[in-house]
Amino acid sequence: MVTALRDTGLRDELVRHLGADRVMDSPLERHLYAKDAGVYRGDPTLVVIIESTEEAVAVVKAARRHRVPVVARGAGTGLSAGAVPEVGGVVLVTTRMNRIEDIDVENRTAWVGPGVINLDLSQTTTPYGLHFAPDPSSQSACTVGGNIACNSGGPHCLAEGSTVNHVLALEVVTDIGEVLLLGGAAPDPIGLDLRGIMVGSEGTLGIVTRALVKLTPNPPDVRTLAVAFPTIEDAASTVSGIIAAGLIPAALEIMDQLMMKAIENWLHAGLPTQAGALLLAEVTGVTEAVEAEARIVTDIARSNHASSVQVATSPEQRAIMWKSRKSAFGAVAQAAPDYYLHDTVVPRTRLVEAMRMVYEIGERHGITMMNVFHAGDGNLHPLMAFDASRPGQLEKVKAAADELVQICVEQGGVLSGEHGIGMEKRHLMPLLFSEVDLDAQARLKEVFDADGVFNPGKVLPEGSRCFDFGRPVPKGAWV
Amino acid sequence: MKNPFGTIPLADTEGLPPAEIALAPTSLPDAARALRTATDRRMEVLIWGGGNHQGYGHRVYPDVVLVTTSLNRVASWEPEDLTLVAEGGTPIARVEEMLAEHRQTTLLPHHSPTSTIGGVLAAGLSGYHRHRYGPSRDRLLETTVVTGDGRTVRSGGRVVKNVTGYDIPRLMVGALGRLGLIGAVCLKLVPTPSAAVTVTVDDPAAALAALYRPLAVLSTPQGHRAFLWGTRAEVESQAGRVGTEAESGHAWPPPPSGMTAWSLRVPPSRLPEAIGRLPRSWDYVAQHGVGMVECAADRFDLGPATELRGWAESVGGAMVLAGGPEALYRQVDPWGAPPAGLDYQRRLSAEFDPYRILNRGRLPGGI
Repeated sequence: MVTALRDTGLRDELVRHLGADRVMDSPLERHLYAKDAGVYRGDPTLVVIIESTEEAVAVVKAARRHRVPVVARGAGTGLSAGAVPEVGGVVLVTTRMNRIEDIDVENRTAWVGPGVINLDLSQTTTPYGLHFAPDPSSQSACTVGGNIACNSGGPHCLAEGSTVNHVLALEVVTDIGEVLLLGGAAPDPIGLDLRGIMVGSEGTLGIVTRALVKLTPNPPDVRTLAVAFPTIEDAASTVSGIIAAGLIPAALEIMDQLMMKAIENWLHAGLPTQAGALLLAEVTGVTEAVEAEARIVTDIARSNHASSVQVATSPEQRAIMWKSRKSAFGAVAQAAPDYYLHDTVVPRTRLVEAMRMVYEIGERHGITMMNVFHAGDGNLHPLMAFDASRPGQLEKVKAAADELVQICVEQGGVLSGEHGIGMEKRHLMPLLFSEVDLDAQARLKEVFDADGVFNPGKVLPEGSRCFDFGRPVPKGAWV
Repeated sequence: MKNPFGTIPLADTEGLPPAEIALAPTSLPDAARALRTATDRRMEVLIWGGGNHQGYGHRVYPDVVLVTTSLNRVASWEPEDLTLVAEGGTPIARVEEMLAEHRQTTLLPHHSPTSTIGGVLAAGLSGYHRHRYGPSRDRLLETTVVTGDGRTVRSGGRVVKNVTGYDIPRLMVGALGRLGLIGAVCLKLVPTPSAAVTVTVDDPAAALAALYRPLAVLSTPQGHRAFLWGTRAEVESQAGRVGTEAESGHAWPPPPSGMTAWSLRVPPSRLPEAIGRLPRSWDYVAQHGVGMVECAADRFDLGPATELRGWAESVGGAMVLAGGPEALYRQVDPWGAPPAGLDYQRRLSAEFDPYRILNRGRLPGGI
């Protein structure tokens, strides 16, 4: 799809549908919507703020007619440049579609707009004893639509699974502006699982305008433990030991000493900054279960040289433990003006080795590596603090980032656990997939978006759809 | 006629439907070769695992039956990582026996000893543990699929959390082989807790409300039971809240028996009403909090079935035929009203099977 740089026809048409105040193209506005929370930048042709499904349909149809791509965007907290308008186009902002409708306590579901903020959903459903399980660190800002696009995770995905496990139905605007309702509240909808394929597709297959999400009952009891270790290897061994013992806690998070110090400097949460690493472990359930599980976690930690085990004794104490975890990335600003937050996964048995290699890569490239990550899932988040204003720094960081992915794949891991591929990692897809594999994914994209209306260039590397299996396009193929 | 499939072994499985030839490839390259040949010759193929779930979907009248049971190797099992990689034709019962050594499980349902991993996933089936652990599709991490035209496509990954590329594995669940043969999978395993208890309850809705995330609360014509899992102290305290009659272990009900089998799917809140609407003569297992009723009748009972389907569809569910005599499939659409997005479904299947040779027409809308 060709991008018209300044298409006044499209602008006029969108103004007719949305009004002038919701169609923006001033330099400042375009600058504001040029990037997400990562390090890549694009340049939107137009930014539109939609308030309804009908408006989404109108935007998609108009953009398609004018041969301009559409890039959906929630709060812009993504880190893989999934919402960056790389080749220009209409940035379609869903944050005003933020209504929580039909909280159904009996079915434990709610219909939500894509612009609903993750934490708002859980807070709104608290009176019913329910919450939305995916809880990314950015949950006070990120939107459910963005969570769906990236199949987001968070600390509590260890026991509850990522966003895809919590989406029952989606209303989707297709590339031709058709509105589809995929899935439903009943189990196992018939036919191919189009709802499932939409989740994690990073806005490349359609625009989600409403979602029926599954709500999870709040646990009757919880124990949150902060365990200090002399080394990060001891913390990682503890996590591997807990999983190997057949215990799947609600969360198992590790932070290293550098990260602890950065957080402690501003939060004053009482983190054990003398320790080499901290393990945040949470077990939930009925009282008998959490007591037994907290004992198992403590025993395994002690056998891995834990120097102290602190159990939260009040909701406030638990809250501060989690605040220290979830605010970690903001705390990094003191270390350097910019950061590059990585996201890769290794099998949980390879955690110790993978962490060793993370630090080794940091040392070799002369980059400060800070770590706070979802250890229970094997989901690493090395954070590289740097100064982008210094020439060559970003390139150096990107090279180290690629190397990190490489070592994780060599350990049997994958490119991303919860941030997505976006622009950031598409060039690394061939590390994991063959030409045939990538071709199949490219065909899938074509089924939903043959003309490349939605978020072009994301997820798959250029040239993925070139593999024709040594045959001409099948004659008489049933399409 | 000369066998165009060369050295691919012939299947000697009993109970296969009539076809020109029945093959039992022993490797994925063999399976790919078989499907490529079938595509070249426009021969229609029916994929056959243990033959337990062939009742789902429109009838298929194949030229070739492709039996998967010789694709039965467990490639790797990482007990410390709780992941398993196995070929699609591997019997679940055999895998479960192996996993029990380390108190782990796939949670895949296997009422029959011949049920295969690929068959159960292709049929989109989940076990009774789903109230607590979610459906089978939530634990499928990676697939290697042989497409209709013989490509071998791997997607997903062997880790428990992954957003690397489109979720093709999930698309394979419930696709009934229309997108390809499930050659191999990586599954996320679940640790089996130390204590299991089954409690007889009077009021399943009250039990569901009183218990924190029970494994299952099931109703059958014989009564209602809650199934609990966890530490000894946990299950005993939970059991005490809902019933007096508790037995150790899980006495799962057998699947409902009858001449015709149906799968009634409604939003969970509609389940008690669904049970109330079943004809008195029908056998059933109803899963509270899930919205699934497996049911069976001793005769066609098309009138009541059609009425149930109408009601289920009106509340956003479905009434799916799961098995029965051939004649029944000529009288009733096994799926009922087709889902949204049929056009996309049709095009998706065309990308995986361009000549439409695999399990042709089996899905809703004759896809």
